Amino acid sequence: MLGRSENPSSEIRTWVIAAGTDQGFGARVREVWQYRRILGFFSMKSVQQLYAKTHLGVSWIFIRTLVPLAVGSFAYGSVMQIPSGGVPYLLFFLIGQVPWNCFDGPLIRGSRGIEVNRQLLTKLYVPRIILPLAQMTAGMIEPAIILLTLLGALVYYRVNEGFWYVQLQARLLACVLSVIVVLFLAFSLSLWTSVWQARARDVRFGVRYVLAFWLIFTPVIYPLSVVPPNLRLLMHLNPLTAAIETFRWGMLPGLEHSWAWLGYTAAVTVVIFATGVWHFARTEGATMDAM
Amino acid sequence: MKERWEALPSPPGAIATTVEVWQYRRLLSFIGDRALRKTYRRTVLGWLWLFINPLLPIALRALIFGGLLGLGSNGLPYFLFLLAGTVAWDVFAASLMWGTRALEMHSDLTTQIYHPRAILPLGNMAPAMLNLGLKVGVFVLALLFYAVKDGQWYLRADLSILWAFAALGLAFLFAFAISFFTSIWGESARDIRFGLGQLLSIWYLLTPVLYPMSQVPAEHRQWMLLNPLAIIVETFKWGLFGVGEFYGEVFGITAVAVMLLLAGGSMYFTRSEARTIAER
Repeated sequence: MLGRSENPSSEIRTWVIAAGTDQGFGARVREVWQYRRILGFFSMKSVQQLYAKTHLGVSWIFIRTLVPLAVGSFAYGSVMQIPSGGVPYLLFFLIGQVPWNCFDGPLIRGSRGIEVNRQLLTKLYVPRIILPLAQMTAGMIEPAIILLTLLGALVYYRVNEGFWYVQLQARLLACVLSVIVVLFLAFSLSLWTSVWQARARDVRFGVRYVLAFWLIFTPVIYPLSVVPPNLRLLMHLNPLTAAIETFRWGMLPGLEHSWAWLGYTAAVTVVIFATGVWHFARTEGATMDAM
Repeated sequence: MKERWEALPSPPGAIATTVEVWQYRRLLSFIGDRALRKTYRRTVLGWLWLFINPLLPIALRALIFGGLLGLGSNGLPYFLFLLAGTVAWDVFAASLMWGTRALEMHSDLTTQIYHPRAILPLGNMAPAMLNLGLKVGVFVLALLFYAVKDGQWYLRADLSILWAFAALGLAFLFAFAISFFTSIWGESARDIRFGLGQLLSIWYLLTPVLYPMSQVPAEHRQWMLLNPLAIIVETFKWGLFGVGEFYGEVFGITAVAVMLLLAGGSMYFTRSEARTIAER
């Protein structure tokens, strides 16, 4: 906080630099709002970094997103014959990938938030909480591409089989809700991981490692219905399970999902967010010094 | 009479390189040791990673793909089936990953002393071999476990088991051949390592590790034969257990192709090494 105290008798102005006294949650939100243009700037930068220094440029993002989808859909659907509850496996797979990628990409990139801006941070002040948030923007590109692919696939099946698998209905709002919860969860976790990663570089590989296993235990490539009923409770303890099931329920007819478990996911998210903000605020000073 | 010393450039070519690598073979274990230390130093779990890294993925995958999704396994216990496939796949994948990082990881060594550069990718594969040893140990334990549990010894006991060794050798040579190229590229472009990781995860899905070849739809099966790893993994499992498909001829063709790639790779490597080192 920069404060000015005028001394009328001596005509000399003194400048006092004092630490900000208002450290509460509201003050932080207000600060992020004040710095919103910086948020936009960092977001643009993070998106550009996606394809900077690659030979293929922007098309690289598409290749990197679509090739694994095509191969995965072939291997899991055609070869391994994983059930998909009556819809073509490609559709099932794409639908599951949208919310999963809203989690995976933003979390990986959000974790790098502080680390990649190391240089800049030593020179100027920005509210640090902006950094994971801005980096997450880059992670939104992939789910957007997958969503477009999904639309294309829906049109393809409309032409070939004569009907829309996904109807335009109010239930689609559940998908929006699910994506919001997932994004919020990714942001909350990156409040923890971005601090760790600024200190130890191998956290980056740790995050990827954990996510690879997390994917296996989340019903993305297979439906929850293949899990024996007595194990479903265990699966639901994974907060992403309910979010992905809700997303699928919103898109496809004839599925089940549970609002109660989505509520559980939201509750877990709020807890991680609250502790994350606290942890972030407590350690940011020390982290900056360590850098 | 005065002694005369002459400094001559080393002769290029695949055979000369092989001879030189053999002369410097004592460096191999040194480089492998260095790679391990560099990787696991400053990690929280340290040396535990050596055990966690290969074994945890197998256990979790067996749980999901075998237990939950009930994929076919040619009549074997799924865990054993997956373990065998993973052994062959990882000889390739792990060797390739480590080999690719070789020049980048030991660039400080290169500026200090002379050594044949080709020894770096080879020596850097030592951690992959350590992983292999660990998995073979677990494999033997699993065999014993199923021998007691099912009363059946799944490993075959005739000379065909030599095919399994041939398959492992070929997997290793294939990885070595590719890493001649990738280690050079990886030195100038850092993200090649990341791209390679992604490529390998796609390749993994197209290789019959999680599923047997017999589960591939008939119209796609001939395309799978274009994937050398599919041949290698399937031959390895056929050699061990006598189940699955046996492609003797295609295996031979694959072996010849790998040898050609190896020769081409070593030529490319020797040509590029002077350039990449001079750029420092």
